[in-house]
Amino acid sequence: MAIEDYRGDVEMCCRCSACKHIPLQKIKGVEHSEACPSIAKYNFHAYSGSGRLLIAKEMLTNGFKYTDKLLDIVYNCQMCGACDISCKYAMDMEVLEPIYEFRIKAVEEGHTNPALDKAITSLRKQGTMVPGAKAKRGEWAKGLGIKDFLRQKTKVAYHVGCLTSFDKDMWPVARATAKLLNKAGVDFGIGGEVESCCGGRAYQMGYQNDFIRQAQNNMALFKQCSIETLVTSCANGYHAFKVLYDKFGLKGNLEVLHITEYLARLIKEGKLKLNKKVNMTVTYHDPCYLGRLGEPWIHWEGKRIPGYKFVFDPPKEYRRGTHGVYEPPREVLTSIPGLKLSEMDRIKEYAWCCGAGGGVNESNPEFAMWTAKERIEEAESTGAEAIATACPWCEKNFNEAIKESGSGLKVYDIVELVEKAI
Amino acid sequence: MAISKDVYKEFEDVVGAENISDDPVIKAAYRSPDLTVVLPGNTEEVAAVIKLCNKHKIPYKAQSTGWSFMPPTYDFIFLDLRRMNRIIEINEKNMYAVVEPYVISAELQGELFKRGMICNVKGAGSTCTALAMSGHGHMGLTTSTGDRNDLATEWVTDEGEIIRLGTLGASDEWFCGDGPGPSLRGILRGGGVITKQATKVYHWPGPSEYPLEGVSPRYTLGKKPSDLNMMVRYFSFPSIEKLVEAELKIGESEIAFELMGFCPSMVSSNITTSNEEDFATLDKFTKEVQGPGFMVIIAGNFDEDFAYKKKALAQIIKETDGKSLKTVEDPAVESTLLFQCTRVCASIRETFRAGGMFSSMMVQGQRYDNHVKWLEEGAVLKRELIKKGLVIADDGQQFGWGEEQGHLGHTEIFCRFNPYDEKSSKAVQEWLGKLGKRALDGCFAVPAMGVLPVDEIGKRVSNYHVWFGKLKKAFDPNEVGENTGYSYVGADISGVHTSIYKKEPEKASPKQ
Repeated sequence: MAIEDYRGDVEMCCRCSACKHIPLQKIKGVEHSEACPSIAKYNFHAYSGSGRLLIAKEMLTNGFKYTDKLLDIVYNCQMCGACDISCKYAMDMEVLEPIYEFRIKAVEEGHTNPALDKAITSLRKQGTMVPGAKAKRGEWAKGLGIKDFLRQKTKVAYHVGCLTSFDKDMWPVARATAKLLNKAGVDFGIGGEVESCCGGRAYQMGYQNDFIRQAQNNMALFKQCSIETLVTSCANGYHAFKVLYDKFGLKGNLEVLHITEYLARLIKEGKLKLNKKVNMTVTYHDPCYLGRLGEPWIHWEGKRIPGYKFVFDPPKEYRRGTHGVYEPPREVLTSIPGLKLSEMDRIKEYAWCCGAGGGVNESNPEFAMWTAKERIEEAESTGAEAIATACPWCEKNFNEAIKESGSGLKVYDIVELVEKAI
Repeated sequence: MAISKDVYKEFEDVVGAENISDDPVIKAAYRSPDLTVVLPGNTEEVAAVIKLCNKHKIPYKAQSTGWSFMPPTYDFIFLDLRRMNRIIEINEKNMYAVVEPYVISAELQGELFKRGMICNVKGAGSTCTALAMSGHGHMGLTTSTGDRNDLATEWVTDEGEIIRLGTLGASDEWFCGDGPGPSLRGILRGGGVITKQATKVYHWPGPSEYPLEGVSPRYTLGKKPSDLNMMVRYFSFPSIEKLVEAELKIGESEIAFELMGFCPSMVSSNITTSNEEDFATLDKFTKEVQGPGFMVIIAGNFDEDFAYKKKALAQIIKETDGKSLKTVEDPAVESTLLFQCTRVCASIRETFRAGGMFSSMMVQGQRYDNHVKWLEEGAVLKRELIKKGLVIADDGQQFGWGEEQGHLGHTEIFCRFNPYDEKSSKAVQEWLGKLGKRALDGCFAVPAMGVLPVDEIGKRVSNYHVWFGKLKKAFDPNEVGENTGYSYVGADISGVHTSIYKKEPEKASPKQ
């Protein structure tokens, strides 16, 4: 699909401003009623989901003119999909997909962002989205005796992901994950030095071809090693393997599980017993790419039926965020003895973004921080001592925001909390 | 034609560089090539911007959330009021709330629910401004029309003067719109910018927060409406006369929390999550109803009150031969309508989802039964468009309901269509024209929205437009302000809607 294929959708925007707010039923007051970080920060309508569609409509009609302001708008979006969910509460139209396609077109026509180029150069040279990474991919696992699935047969692969692999601060998450899987008796392996980026963040940044190349290489590797189930603790990775690989017809029969889904399953099956008390009040942040954007891809091909109605043949089923991964992380958290879960105002399909997605972390760190601080303030308002999440990118951004703002809130990946309970 | 760099700098000095733009991409999102967009953050900045508009004789237009497209056709300075989004005060004792223009109804309502209160919400939905203003809505039977909820107001005139109306003109109190202090409520029709306004609030017998479950777009109420002492029903009647009789009885007995003159298509839009589902449900409802209808919500303050209201409603419906739509009696459907319609969250589904646009002819202020004949003629004309496949098929449905316990009312008929289909757009425009003319010729009503020239309407209604023109001149001698409010009875929304869907947007010239 290309932006041109979404002309009908961009024309459907009625400028109701629903895309700026969380679903109206969920609004409890003036606090935490905003859904979209970009319009919340920059205020001009152009930065909203609706504004982006209206710009697309203008350019589909009168040609694409890439100016600095246009690129500022294009790249100052976390691609978090909150606008898409709020719009689709009421409307039958795509919002996030045309925004993606607009960015992909900009990249394909050479209108890139230098900071994102740098990340992609790292991807092309080193297979990682963490430029200047000093460590080796599998170094975190040194001494843990984890299987290398290239050499030792295993059906379950644990894909660690770029940030967790290369940022030593994240290694405890990977180590805890491995420990929990071992404890549950899961026969799993890691790619170690042959693991490569999932490509998801490249896609978020608009570099579709780089994403496809990564996806093809990864799937070839998994096939070669007869991997049947892939487990990841990164929401970006989950979205890439589960949703994007499927969108591009590359996923095959690979079962993709986020670690929270896997842990929830292991706990239910009695394979993982959480016995130790963790006396803590925790709030949970739904990562965008695990929550609303983590719902399976829906394959559909059809045409609009000409005439006065916006309907298709065959009927189009929209992804509205209904089937994202919301419950497993909560099930895991509430299985921890002593732990109390205190929810924020914006959760699940209408959760506020951590700020790190869509390349904003790289292209506009100040905006990424602003977005994260908003979330930290919301988390604090629940009375929780800690914010738990299920994505290293969220965790990193929250930690930095807390450092800057001087908040006393602690940040945990869910697996770290589970580790405390065994 | 854009404003000069020097003039731009003057505006920039008022709002700051980050709150002004004339970049083509920014303008594209506002659907006009000739704008400079400014984002004022407070009343003083609004006044300063308007004074600069007067100084340089540059037209301006202000907008809050901007429900649907109401693009300026000539403006150079566009005030997007997005940064003015504060609730200034909620006065529980005197039952009013003071808001800035970008506070949306859902936000104010959310705050009020926590205090056992609710505000009037316009039918256009809770994404719209919480300023009282004009506009009719679901709670009109008990709260009346939007503009009957205006209290004290802070208004920046078209000359940039800050005027404090009602009690605010004599003190710092917001409780009354008419004084002591100047009252200009009757002419607040689009001129200047309302920067703060007090709106009435009412008792809310429902929960402080709906216990919603599930995930968008299929939220469900965690409880049955009856568990909250609330009930939703849709009744259809053998005739409009019977419907009005029921409405008046409901009004007299003061048993309804909300009475909305929904037609079946509005019910089906509210409870369905896609067009296909909507059209199938509408087909079913159309067969099930016996004639015109309304939706009514009963809310009890306590068990006995709830029981009494239900009993009284049942008696009234029996006396007026009403028939309940069985689907709505299903607690799952009923609960969806309850939170949807008390929070007015799905107006977009009712209007835009099906085809992308709707055009409406409405009569505000008079009772439904005054216009029955006119409405029926409108429905006949609409069915012709349906037959030709030009608008969404809804069996020519129209609707209306009583306000102020049935003493006033609202009547409306709309067509939903694809605005990019030229045949459809043209047909709907013609339909509106015929309907407007018929309303005047038949002495049925003065249409509040329409495509008729203001002169044609004005000369039939005591030349009101001449007086409005004089008011306009007195308040806006430099002709920089919006003129539709003074020159038209309400905004000429229907015409504006369709004009922006032309393939190439028309470049309008500035007024000066």
